[in-house]
Formats: sequence, C-alpha cells, structure tokens
Amino acid sequence: MSKNAKTALVLASIALASFLGIVAKYWILRG
Amino acid sequence: MSAVVDTHAHGHHDHHGGYGGIMRWITTTNHKDIGTLYLWFSFIMFSVGGLMAVGIRMELFSPGLQVMDPDFFNQLTTMHGLIMVFGAIMPVFVGFANWQIPMMIGAPDMAFARLNNWSFWLLPFAATLLVLSFFMPGGAPGVGWTMYAPLTVQMGIGMDLTIFAVHILGMSSILGSINIITTILNMRAPGMTLMKMPLFVWTWLITAYLLVAAMPVLAGAVTMTLTDRHFGTSFFNAAGGGDPVLYQHVFWFFGHPEVYIIALPGFGVISQVIPAFSRKPLFGYASMVYATSAIAIISFIVWAHHMYTVGMPVTGQLFFMYATMLVAVPTGVKVFNWVATMWKGSLTFETPMLFACGFLFMFTLGGFTGLVLSLVPIDIQVHDTYYVVAHFHYVMVAGALFAAFAGIYFWLPKWTGRMYDETLGKVHFWLTMIFFNVTFFVQHFLGLAGMPRRVPDYPLMFEAWNKISSIGAFGMGLSQLLFLYIVLKALRSGAKAPEKPWEGADSLEWTHLPTPVPYHTFETPPVLK
Repeated sequence: MSKNAKTALVLASIALASFLGIVAKYWILRG
Repeated sequence: MSAVVDTHAHGHHDHHGGYGGIMRWITTTNHKDIGTLYLWFSFIMFSVGGLMAVGIRMELFSPGLQVMDPDFFNQLTTMHGLIMVFGAIMPVFVGFANWQIPMMIGAPDMAFARLNNWSFWLLPFAATLLVLSFFMPGGAPGVGWTMYAPLTVQMGIGMDLTIFAVHILGMSSILGSINIITTILNMRAPGMTLMKMPLFVWTWLITAYLLVAAMPVLAGAVTMTLTDRHFGTSFFNAAGGGDPVLYQHVFWFFGHPEVYIIALPGFGVISQVIPAFSRKPLFGYASMVYATSAIAIISFIVWAHHMYTVGMPVTGQLFFMYATMLVAVPTGVKVFNWVATMWKGSLTFETPMLFACGFLFMFTLGGFTGLVLSLVPIDIQVHDTYYVVAHFHYVMVAGALFAAFAGIYFWLPKWTGRMYDETLGKVHFWLTMIFFNVTFFVQHFLGLAGMPRRVPDYPLMFEAWNKISSIGAFGMGLSQLLFLYIVLKALRSGAKAPEKPWEGADSLEWTHLPTPVPYHTFETPPVLK
C-alpha cells in the first residue's frame, strides 16, 4: 500500500470514528 | 531556494488530456482545472445566495410585510446561510487550495487526482438539492442555517433534501481535506520542510484537519435529525424523551470550528498578499504557524458561547466565556504580525493589498464584536438580535470574502497570464468596502436597540437603519457585477501579465514557474536549498 493510501486511510478512519462516535454516544449510551 | 524556472514546454492543443469542450471539465483530474471549477461554482453560488440576501433586504426595507410571506422569508434566510457557508465560501478556498497548494510545495498535482474530481462534482448535485427544496410541498426548510430541533422534525420534504445536501457537501469536504492533507504531508518537494511552507499551505493543512474532525459531527447531527423524522428515534424530539438542546450542543461542536474552517484559509491568503506588497518577509512566521494551530485547538472548546441562553449552569457559562476570550490571544498575534509586516515596508496599494487592508480593519472589528459577544451578561441581552448578524457578517464577508477577492486579484495574473484592470479593481474594492459597511455597520445599532433576527416585520422605530442597510445591500450586490466584468475583461482582453507582476511575491509559483503557469507543473520536483 502506498504512503498516500496509508495517510488517507488513517484520516478516513478518524472521520468515520467521529461520525459513528457522535451517533453511538447518544444512541447506544443514551446520552 | 534556487531560481531554476520550470519552463517545461507543452503543446497548446494536446495538454488538456483526451477530451475537449465540456467533457474536459467533467473528466478532468488536473488540479488547476478543478481549482477553476471550484472558483466558478463558488461565484455562481455567491450570486444565488446574494440574490436571496437582496430578497431578504427588500422585505426589510420597510416595516410591515412587503414582498413575501413570513414563511418564505424564513426559507430565504435559511437557504442564504446554507448556500453562502457551504456552497460559496468553503468552495472558494478549496478552489485556491487546488490551484495553489501543489504549486506552492513543488508537487505535480494533488495526491488523489480522481478523488479530487469527484469531490468537486458532488457539489453541483448538493447545490441542486438545496435549490430544489424550494419547489417541494411546504417549500424549503425555514429553520435557519443551524437547522435547530425541534423545528427540523416538523418541516416538510424540503428538510430531507436539505439533510441529504448537507451529507453530500460534508462528504465532498472530507474527501477534499483528506486529499489536501495527504498532498501536503507526502508530496512536498525535497527541501520543502514543514516550516518552510508558505503560510497559505500551513493554514490549509490546519483547516483540513479541522474539517476531518468537525464535518462528521455535523453529518452525525443531521443523521440523527433524519432518524428522528423518519425512523422513530427521539434524539432531539422532546415528545419522545429527546432533548432539543442536545442538537445545539452537537451542531455547535461542529459550528464553531466551522467558523475557523472558513477564516483560516483567508488568513493564509492575507499572509501571502501583505508580505508581497510590503516587500518584506512575513513577520513572525513561526508564531503565525503556532497561532493558527492554537486557534484551531481552542475552536473545539468554545462551542457553547452560541447558546448561553439555553439555561446552562453559571460554571459552564464562565468556562465558555473565558475559553472564547482566549481565542483573542492567537488572533491578536496574527493581526499584530500582519501589521508588523507592513511596518517600514515599501508599501504599494494595488487591488489585492487594498482588499487585504480592508480585511485587516473589518475582520478585526468583527473580532472585537466577537469579544463583546463572548461576555455572558452582554450576550444574553443581544442574543438572536441584529448585533449577532452584524458580527458574523464582519467575520464572514469582511474576513473570508475580502480575503478571497485579495487572492483572486493576486493570483489571477499567474493563473491566466492576463492582468486585470487595476483602476476598475480599485473601484470594485471601494464600492464593496463602502456598501459593505453601509449594510452591516448599522445592524449593530439595530441589534443593540433590540431588533430580533429572522423576522420579516419590525416596529417603526427600526425603519431608518433598516432602509440604510437595505440600500447598502443592493449597492453591494450590484458592485459584484463589476467584479464579474473585471474578471471576464481580464480573461478576454487583459494586458499580458509580466513574469512576476508583484515584485515582493516569493513563493514557488512566482519564483519557479512561468506566467501563465503551464497546464502541468513540477513534473520534476524543483531543487530547493
């Protein structure tokens, strides 16, 4: 995997974690 | 740095890839083409959002209901905000990023060229959805650009189109940011260390991180709104045990970093323009980098200053008040450094520098009213009044739009090989500067006198300032037709630009590339010392 692809993967993971995290916090953990 | 100029020759007719005409623009993966697409898209969206602003000011020209019903007025304020923030201001700086970042760091293109194409072409679909929402049953959502619950739960199908549009816009921004960060981190020319990068590149690197962290939060907020509307959840619906204030917390956790997502690239442009026309290096380069980083970090801990009136504990109010005041420190460092760069410089005031100076005065004024609003006792008095509207237009218009104009006049000769009409450029600046202040300065008085925002009617006592503000808005709108004329005139019949029209400009695109820049640049990395 190229260096660019690795960097992009890390950044995309951060974005996905933010998105899922904010929904999960209030859905699964009920606030 | 060496002064080796990349004069890589390209045939005029074979350098745009395999397609011509419209297909060139649809299929292009060239960062300059995509930058141009972003800039024109942004101008179209500025025009659409500007027309909505003219509609709003027409209604507010006199007390009473004049030209539209209150519901449509609310739809206009909502769409004006959404289109200007997501469709106009953000894309204009992504356009600058596409054009400038590869050239400024000595890279041949963006890291992910096809992804870059897709990031752009998502935008017209999102913009179409936003505009189409006007034609849905019930019209566009009239909830304000912040899309507060519980109103969003009660809106018609136009709200769903808007939510979908926000998702697409967010996806475009995140993909663009990933591309920008990867390009800057991995594709700099040998010798271009992080602390040698032009400040425009630094501000975009930090902005892109902000986008990656903040945009998914907005996506989460509108996704929860969507599930509240259609899938039986009650995140924000009090009737089902949800909390509407929760939406405000989540939205502003995105929303305040968003202010800096808009402002920081503008800071970057100004940091290129002021040294060029002062004929001096930027004062305090390292402190500018650290100040920009500090602004970005602090922007994540100040969100609740937008919601002092929701009934939070005094301890919370105090925390957010002091944290907000803290933003003034790194911002003050930046303003000080810009002024110190000009100090004893060999100054000239061509159009880019005029817009940079206009930015300095007006943005600082917007910053000061921001400090006023950070104070809980004052904010509670003027919350949701025209004082807030005046404040954020000084930040958004004078901050971001003036910086964008400065950047376009600054780099247009490099991009096109044509000079714009300097006299007309100066006329454009002064008309914009005067009408901007006529429009928005008086709104401070309206707000302090208690006129609420997002209301189409008002008592007679507010009539005079509203008339003045509306006249200013009409003048400012017309002034932008002059800008379009200046750009088109430069493209069609502008005088040939010299190799280096601004003698103080010293970043790679000025020192290492011919004017106009060829379609492909830095296929071989420049040699930097």
